[in-house]
Amino acid sequence: MKSEFYEIASQINHPGLQAWKTEGKPVVAYSCSYVPAEIFHAAGILPMRLRGIETDGMEIGDAYFGPYICSFPKCILQLAGHGKYSLLDGVVITPGCDSMRRLYDCWQKAGEDHQGIVPNFFHYLDVPHKTVHHRIDWFVDRVTDLKSALEQQFSVQIGGEALHQSITVYNTGRKLLQELETLRQQEAVPLTGSEAFAVVVASTVMPRDDFNKALSHYLKTLKHNPTIEHQGKKRLMVVGSISDDMDLVSLIESTNRAVVVADNLCFGVRHDKSDIPLNGDPVRALAESYLGESTCPRMFGQYKKRLEILKEKIAAHRVEGVILQNIRFCDLHGSENGLFERDLEQMGVACLKLEREYGPLTETGRMKMRIDAFLERLA
Amino acid sequence: MRPEIKEYNFDWMLGSLLKTAANIGNCSEKEIKTLLNYVPYYKGTLEVLLREGEVGTCFIRLLDKYFDNILNAHQNRKKIVGITFCLSPTLFHAMDIVPVTLEVMTGLCGLLWKRGAYDYLDHGVELGFTETSCSSQRGSLGAYLAGLGEEIDFLVCDTPGVCDTNANAFAFASEFMEKPFFQLNYPYIIGDEKTKKYQLDDYKDLIVFLEEQTGTKLDQDRLREVLQEVDVQDDLLAEIEDFYCLIPSPIPILFNLFMYMGRFLFSGMPEYTELLTLMLEKVQDNAKNGLSGLHQTQEKARIFMCYIDHYTLDMKFFDWINQQGIAHLGAILSRNFRDNTRYAPDFQKSTYGIDTSSLETMLTSMSEMNATLPMVRSIRGPFDQPNMWLEESISLARMYQADCVIYNGTPGCRNTWGMVKPFAKEVEKAGFPVHIMYGDAFDDRVESWESSVNRLQEFFSIRGIL
Repeated sequence: MKSEFYEIASQINHPGLQAWKTEGKPVVAYSCSYVPAEIFHAAGILPMRLRGIETDGMEIGDAYFGPYICSFPKCILQLAGHGKYSLLDGVVITPGCDSMRRLYDCWQKAGEDHQGIVPNFFHYLDVPHKTVHHRIDWFVDRVTDLKSALEQQFSVQIGGEALHQSITVYNTGRKLLQELETLRQQEAVPLTGSEAFAVVVASTVMPRDDFNKALSHYLKTLKHNPTIEHQGKKRLMVVGSISDDMDLVSLIESTNRAVVVADNLCFGVRHDKSDIPLNGDPVRALAESYLGESTCPRMFGQYKKRLEILKEKIAAHRVEGVILQNIRFCDLHGSENGLFERDLEQMGVACLKLEREYGPLTETGRMKMRIDAFLERLA
Repeated sequence: MRPEIKEYNFDWMLGSLLKTAANIGNCSEKEIKTLLNYVPYYKGTLEVLLREGEVGTCFIRLLDKYFDNILNAHQNRKKIVGITFCLSPTLFHAMDIVPVTLEVMTGLCGLLWKRGAYDYLDHGVELGFTETSCSSQRGSLGAYLAGLGEEIDFLVCDTPGVCDTNANAFAFASEFMEKPFFQLNYPYIIGDEKTKKYQLDDYKDLIVFLEEQTGTKLDQDRLREVLQEVDVQDDLLAEIEDFYCLIPSPIPILFNLFMYMGRFLFSGMPEYTELLTLMLEKVQDNAKNGLSGLHQTQEKARIFMCYIDHYTLDMKFFDWINQQGIAHLGAILSRNFRDNTRYAPDFQKSTYGIDTSSLETMLTSMSEMNATLPMVRSIRGPFDQPNMWLEESISLARMYQADCVIYNGTPGCRNTWGMVKPFAKEVEKAGFPVHIMYGDAFDDRVESWESSVNRLQEFFSIRGIL
């Protein structure tokens, strides 16, 4: 039986979101893991990651974006154009990558042709690409600007105490997610990779307090659950481009010859490893922590750090094979996957480099065939 | 990569070719005619360059000098830095570091070889680059990563915040070649004090990095000398560009390429000043006689290239627009946004000046100069933000009385492909027909030049321009 996280992660307009809106409370969506969600939480706003699931066409996405662009931002624009995001009170876009940053331009321009699709609060958050002194200061200023813009738009005050409380709530969630990760390290794992991934995706769209309660309960259940049938299954890790649906992981596990025991994805636990410090200025603490995590290849020159993260996970989760996937036109993950493949294979870790389109089970046959071949190699 | 391609270093092959070509200025007409029989695949390039007379041969000499510098750098105890075209080489020249501009190297393969940079482009993919990464870096990097060039000692790019694919190519190369890497990072706005300070802080960090890599301190007097040369060059450039306002334009098509390529390679060096001086003389002469810069044809239309030119193969793009009687009014690569240009008043907060009175003013001048370079200036933020791509393209197209605006790039350019459609719509609203070319400026295999020409002809015909 699928968990409540699975249900939440499988739809954009999930029950928790509907309930939140029914209470008349605002929702702001954001495009990238470098946006400190705590700022919204402290303002009584529900922060949620922009997602591309439930797309059933691309005519709007293709009308504004050029052809050589990743399908993920196109899917978001497509959904926005069809009013799927009309429940939003605001959107924050960052230069996570060139394709995503242009979502800011294309969404606004699409708003001229599709009335009402651009929320009143439409904000660009500049995120530097490295972490030296003046860049941290710059990001502190940008996060402060975001805070001020939210205060003005939603007529709220985001005080230091509220921020500290929100950081505490989010840190609790981070700890719980790490507990879940620890369970995935066991010889006999109590949940599938798709179930684990559903939890992580849900963490980016659910009200955080509700998420913490639900995950706490789920962890207790898992500890008493029988482990899944894993005999003979290969332990895999999935790495690379953005993925916010469980279908990719499910496809891998549907072979019945593999279980995904770890991931290092944009929607994933890679950003939730460390707590945000509670001492000092909370805005600076958020800026330093979010920017300091060089987990995304957008942080140029930090490849070795990211390789270390993979090595640690491979060891801790006893990973036997790594699937390095990237969405077509994602150069950042695509070429970094090339480096990972070189270095991990040298270490004796088998890798499969897989380029794909974003979208629910697009190219299923081709991908399944390649995954099967990879599993044969592992056998 | 095919074994025969590995027989010789790619920079040596390009350099040798240009060394031979540089002597062509001393040849008789008969000798040149005979020579052309031996270069069937880049005859077009040679013919187009030679058509520009003394300016053309001066440009070939400049390229020859560039390769001499690279090929002899280590012998002369100089370091080689791999850089991108939108990073000014001025500072490197001032510090006696030899810059290798990756995009220029890839472009030259396309201009000079029948096979273009295909083998190196593909080798880049074999090594792990995505096949959709930007071809402009991937071509020459494919060769360098295969060890087919003078060893690059370190890498510097200024595209994080501007162009991810570009920055990513440098980050990848740094890891692959295990070479130190420095990145200048750009915020999404231009011209405000905070941004200027950020850019200056970054630039100072770059100097520290270069001093560490070379083991020598930045020499203020040498820097001043180089910047004073840039000052002279900027005056010459401003004067040449003024002539774009004339109808017919007295500026030959290739002068646009010479202006930016010279700046990418030799900004602040006397070789570039010599080239610009010759160019200005030619343009003044044409203007005085009421002549168009086109060869053997009348000016029938004027195009403004809002992004880059097309470099494959054999200079066919440049030759074709000349044959059609189309005057080329420049590209995103051409303008330097110096404060003394005709268009500067429209962009007051985003131009640069040169002040050599102290080290601090020189560093400020250089950081601001770098912030106005192609792409760094125009596509760092939303395309319709003040002083950005849309505003400058419309302003320049108006100033030079363009009949249309043409976009040409590479599929790897996520940044512009992410916004070119809304951009085109806005430029059309401003009264300029826009054509989007879907080929690759560095890789003819994406769309053959013949297909590109068909689409260009269709555009000019349907929009009633030709």
